[in-house]
This record gives sequence, C-alpha cells and structure tokens, in this order.
Amino acid sequence: MSAQTNAMRTPLANAEEMPFNAAANKPTLAKTITRLLLYAAAITISLFFLVPIYLIAISAFSPQQAIFAYPKALIPQTLSADTMLFFWNARGVQSALVNSVLVGILALIFSLLVGAPAGYALARFLFRGRDSYKMLILTTRAFPIVILSIPLAVNYIQWNLYDTLWGVAFAHTAMALPTTILVTSSIFIGVSRELEEAAQTLGCNRAQAFIKVALPLALPGLAAAAIFTFVLSWNETFAATILTQRNRTLPALVLAQIADVGAPLPFRYAGGFFLIAPSLIYIFFMRKYLLGMWGQVVK
Amino acid sequence: MLKIFSRQPVALLALIVIALVVVAGCAPAAQPTAAPPTSAPAATNAPAATNAPAPTTAPAGGATATQPPPTPNGGIIFHSSQFAPVNEAEAMRNVILKDAPMLVDFQPQAAGPFVDIPLAQQKAGKVNIAVLGGQHGDFPAFANAGLLDDVTPLLNKLADRKFPEQYIALGKLGTDKQYYIPWAQATYIMVANKDALQYLPQGADINKLTYEQLTEWAKNAQQGTGQRVLGLPIGPQGLIHRFWQGYLYPAYTGTEVVNFKSADAVKMWTDFKELWKYVNPGSTNYNNMSEPLQSGEVLIAWDHVARLRDALQANPDQYVAFPVPAGPKGRAYMPVLTGLAIPVGGPNRAEAEQLITYLTDPKTQTLVAQNLGFFPVVSGADTSNLPPGVRLEADAIATMQASPDALPALLPLGLGAKGGDWNKVYNDTFQRIVIKGEDIQTVLNEQAALMQGILNETKAKCWPPDPASDGPCQVK
Repeated sequence: MSAQTNAMRTPLANAEEMPFNAAANKPTLAKTITRLLLYAAAITISLFFLVPIYLIAISAFSPQQAIFAYPKALIPQTLSADTMLFFWNARGVQSALVNSVLVGILALIFSLLVGAPAGYALARFLFRGRDSYKMLILTTRAFPIVILSIPLAVNYIQWNLYDTLWGVAFAHTAMALPTTILVTSSIFIGVSRELEEAAQTLGCNRAQAFIKVALPLALPGLAAAAIFTFVLSWNETFAATILTQRNRTLPALVLAQIADVGAPLPFRYAGGFFLIAPSLIYIFFMRKYLLGMWGQVVK
Repeated sequence: MLKIFSRQPVALLALIVIALVVVAGCAPAAQPTAAPPTSAPAATNAPAATNAPAPTTAPAGGATATQPPPTPNGGIIFHSSQFAPVNEAEAMRNVILKDAPMLVDFQPQAAGPFVDIPLAQQKAGKVNIAVLGGQHGDFPAFANAGLLDDVTPLLNKLADRKFPEQYIALGKLGTDKQYYIPWAQATYIMVANKDALQYLPQGADINKLTYEQLTEWAKNAQQGTGQRVLGLPIGPQGLIHRFWQGYLYPAYTGTEVVNFKSADAVKMWTDFKELWKYVNPGSTNYNNMSEPLQSGEVLIAWDHVARLRDALQANPDQYVAFPVPAGPKGRAYMPVLTGLAIPVGGPNRAEAEQLITYLTDPKTQTLVAQNLGFFPVVSGADTSNLPPGVRLEADAIATMQASPDALPALLPLGLGAKGGDWNKVYNDTFQRIVIKGEDIQTVLNEQAALMQGILNETKAKCWPPDPASDGPCQVK
C-alpha cells in the first residue's frame, strides 16, 4: 500500500507548486479514506459476529416476559438473571462444565502424544506409501459417526469405558488425530532439518537435538494444534451424548436443550449464552498468544 | 519472532496443562454438584464415588470407572423421553419424584439417545436402566428389539388404578403382552388470543365450531388484522401429522385409514386448501405454538396441550382454550398417551415396579397435572386445583370429550417401528396436495398404496375409529 501512495505522491507533488502544501494533504486524504474503509470493513465484520452474541446475551438476561415482546427492544429495559441462574443450578450443568474441560484436556494430551510423533515421522522420513498413509489418516473422518453410534456404545459398555470421561476423550482423540497429525507434520517440515543436524554436530544425540532444537521451534505450532483439538472436543456433541449417560459434557447437555427437546425460548437463550460465554472468556485471555501462534504456523 | 514464544507463554501453557491434569486426577469429577432432590438423605452422599470416572486409574486395563452399578447409588435410573426441557426436568426431580419411595435418577433424553442408549446396553448385555418412560410411539422400537419386559403381573397389581381399557390396549402394541403401563395422557386442542374473538363468524359458538366456521373465522381475522393469524405446527419437530390422522381425517371421513382416498377425503383436502389461504406462512417453521402465540404472530392455533401451555400459563387472561372444530362425521380428537416400561435384564426390578406404582398413584398423577400439564390416566386423581393455564386446557378437553359429536381417534396401533413412515405418508400427502398443488385424487391414490404397503408389512389391524378388521387394515 505504501508503494502505491508513494507513486501517487510523486506526480502530484511535481504537478504544481500549491499553497498550504496541499500536495502533501492529498495523499493523506487517500490514506484516510483507505483507512476509513478498512475500519468500516473491520466494524462490519465485527458487528456480523457481535450482534447475534449481543442479542443472545440480552435475551438470556431478560425477564422471561420480555423475550416474547415484539418488536424486541435493542436496549433491554430490565435485566434479570433468573433464567441464567435456573440454568446454572439445574441438575448436571455445573458438573457438565467440569466434564467438558476435563475431556477437552485429556483429548488434547492424547492427541498430541499420539499425533505429534506421527507428524514428526511424516515430516522427517521418506518411506514407501507415505502419501497414501496421509490419505488413509483422513479416512477416519469419512465414517459418519451416526452409523457407528450403537456399535461404538456397545463396545464401550463391554470395555467398561461407557459413561466415563476417558471414553469420551478417546473418541474425541480419534476424531482429532487426522488434523493433529497433518498439522504437526507440516509444522515439523517448517523446522529446518539442518538445525537439528547442526545440533548433532555440536554434540547432541538425536533425541537431544529433537528436544533442545526442533521441539522449542515447533512448540507454538503444536500449541495451536492442541487448541484445535480442544475446540473440537468442546464442540462435539454426538459421541458425547451417545457414549455417556450420567456424565454428559456441557454442549451435549445444553445443545439438547436448545435443539432437540423443545425447551421454552428463555431457556434456549440461556443455554446459547452458556455455550458462548466460556469461549469468549477463553479468547479474551488467549488472543495475544493465539495471534502469535497462528502467525508462526503460517510462516 | 522467537521473543513472542520465548519461555514464558510456553511455560505458562505447560503449567496450566499440568495443573489441570492434576485437578483431573484428584477431583472426583463429573457428579452433579447439585444434590439430587431426595427423601433419602443418606443416599445423597453416595453418588460421588461410584459413578465418577476416576481418571487416576489407567484406562488401559479396561477395569476402570463406571460400571452400571448393581446398587442404585445415584438412584435407580429412570430413562425418559418425556419432560426433557430443563424446566420440566427440574419439576420432575424437585416436585414429582421428591417423595418417591426410593432415590430416582431421572435421566431425560432427546429422541435419538433415548432409543440408542437402551438398545446399546441391551446388545452389550449390561442394562442399567430400571424404568423407561416414553410416549406411545417410542415403544415399538424397543418391543421389536425384545427389550421390553411383559408387565402384565404389575398391571394386575395396579387394578385399582382403573386405567381406561383402550389405553391398556395401546400398551400391548398390538400383541397379547403388556409392554407398557399407561402413565399420563394429553391431547390436542385449540387456543385463541382474545383479540381474535371479535372476528368469530356470526352465530358461531366457540365450543361447537365446525371446520367451515374456522375457515371463515380465519378469513375474517385476516381481513381485520391484515395478517394470516391462524397457526399450525408444521415445523420439523411439529406434530402436524396428528392433525391429519386424528383430527381432519376422522372428522371428514369417519376413519383414519379406510377412507383415506374416498370422495370425503377429496372434499376434506379441497376444504383444507381453502383454509390454507388464511394460515400463517410461518407455520412451516413452528414446532410449538406457544411461542408464536406469545409473540402475537399467531392469534388462533392448534397444538398439543403441552406445547400450548407456556402461552396459557404466562398470560391466562389473554387466551381462550376451546375444543377442536367438527367436520361432517364428528368432532374428532386424538388422545395421546405416555407409558412406563421395564427393560428386560434391567436392575432393581422391585424398585422399578415400586416407581411405576408411585407414578400411577392418583396423588402423583395430580402433581403431574398441576406441574407439567399432562393429565391423569387413573381414576381418583384430584384435578380441582390446577394452575390457571392448565385449568383452561382441562376445561377445553372436558368440553371436547363431552360434546355429543365427540369422536375419539386413537394413535396408530400395531405399526411397530413403521410409525415414522406412517406419519410421513400423511405429511407427504399434505405437501403434495397443498404446497405443490398436485391433483388431489391422484396423490391420494398413490399415497394410499404406500399406506397399504405399511399395513400389509406390519399386518396391523384397523384401530378405532376405523371399523374392526380381520386381517391387515385395508384402504378402500
């Protein structure tokens, strides 16, 4: 962009000697317009995401009567936490929140433990069938889990994994593995092999070279992959519903209320807000790390 | 670049992960923190231990964590497709089951898992569900899988409940075994906003409407308000199929099945196409009519009592509830039924029977009517003290049942797992005739063939109000 503005400035500046240094103002104007457009676009995109969240939030915190008012007030007249509190205190919601976090973390750890070495191998070693292996990994996502539901649940019951957090975490790990493997392999490709070799010439053995050189360089990318797994686990409801009975995760519990069982409107708003709030809090604290991490991955 | 990722954030992340893993390992995760409402206080302490998936134990050995408990630590499991919305589930736990003779773990489920979980448990040979609660249409899938125990002995013990004969018959699912015990009943009625009453056609009595008068009413209301204010629940989860099966068809043809493609049926669809001109086009999105009634989009509505209740309860003075209209053959309506069943191989058999005994007790039935708006199926339940919205519904039902031209039309009997296909035949008929504007008789002939196919396959005999048949019911 700056090259463009420079190009504009030169002919204009040469055109005439203008009083009050108008020539210098012109490009500033263009700059301002560009900037304004940029901001307008940014604001539009932000509104696109924020308005629905705002509407859900005010509905969740409105008294139940106000939700049916038509047309709806954009600024709520009265606020009430009754519906939210009812939801929060409803049986199973708080434990489901804990379950969701634990399942997400377990899935994240398992998928990194299994997926990162696989990704490293794919990045560092040439072996026969490497490309078909990559494709093969993806096919695990090709099976619709709806078809697998009852057989999977039957096996889980027989293996005593049914209705446990471990069980749900394993299912989520299996779902996340293809992406974890492919993402980590591209991360390790990005970490120069020469650096590891250099470390080995300077006295490291293979493992040390990996741990001291390759791993720190890959860590941000690995963290991004891990976050991806966590988000996948947080959003997943089908396996979480079919493989559990008493130990539901939060989205499995709440989404049923929103989508399937026809809860009254106020509870659906409260449920919706309930699902959004944790991710908003998470993003609020994590955004600067996230930006950095994705920046690194893109490089 | 490296600065951003230098030790700190990574260390921070690692720290968080380690901390959380430690928490995961130590906390007895995942038990409801809110104590289940119970009359047996000792038991509230128990659930934390057994059902927690103790994540400290290695999963590899396969010997971890939850095993369907032989003893009811969290209470015996009551797996239900009914009362799943969070407000109803809480009422079920905190009011209805509070005084049950045992600790009950009420587990409401959405439609899919409600069926899948018991079937999976049965296949794995480890059923931990003590009692199944569902609506009539939920049970055939279980019965076909051999999951339902014959509860005839229990029904005999409950003879003093005096269940209506036709409900006991429904519970047999077309066999000679009793697969479920009637639990609660409901039906479909009409509700109107009082603002719409001014448009009632002259001389029409709201308690004795005909479908013709309803059409005229809707037409007047459209002219008066400028809006199409009659609403029907035709959304993806709406119950409109019962409107065709139990209301329009019997009212016009006197049958649900036999006269499906008769001249009367052609007249019925012709009339309905006229009515459709005044039906709110948003109807194809409505799953329950409470919400459009409350927002004022719809002033006159037909739906299941449970799906009208929120509007009536929120503002009982603003609405009237009244019987459904009558057609040439009578004022047809469909009583619907929920039931209680016991899975084969389920735990705590004695307590399961006690729970069913408790739930069919007239006092419990009264509580369900007062708090959840489903009506008693036993004699002796006191319904004098209902909340105002439910009162409106109860009165409308009573008026409807007492009408001289009342024509009860039963839920489909003996179709087993084909119930969904059966509903689709009716809904597709509506789609083709009314939405797509296809020729009525052609559509009826084609759909009747599909219908006959289902009847032949399931060998279902005709059910009331259709005349009794020897073999599979035949569409004339």
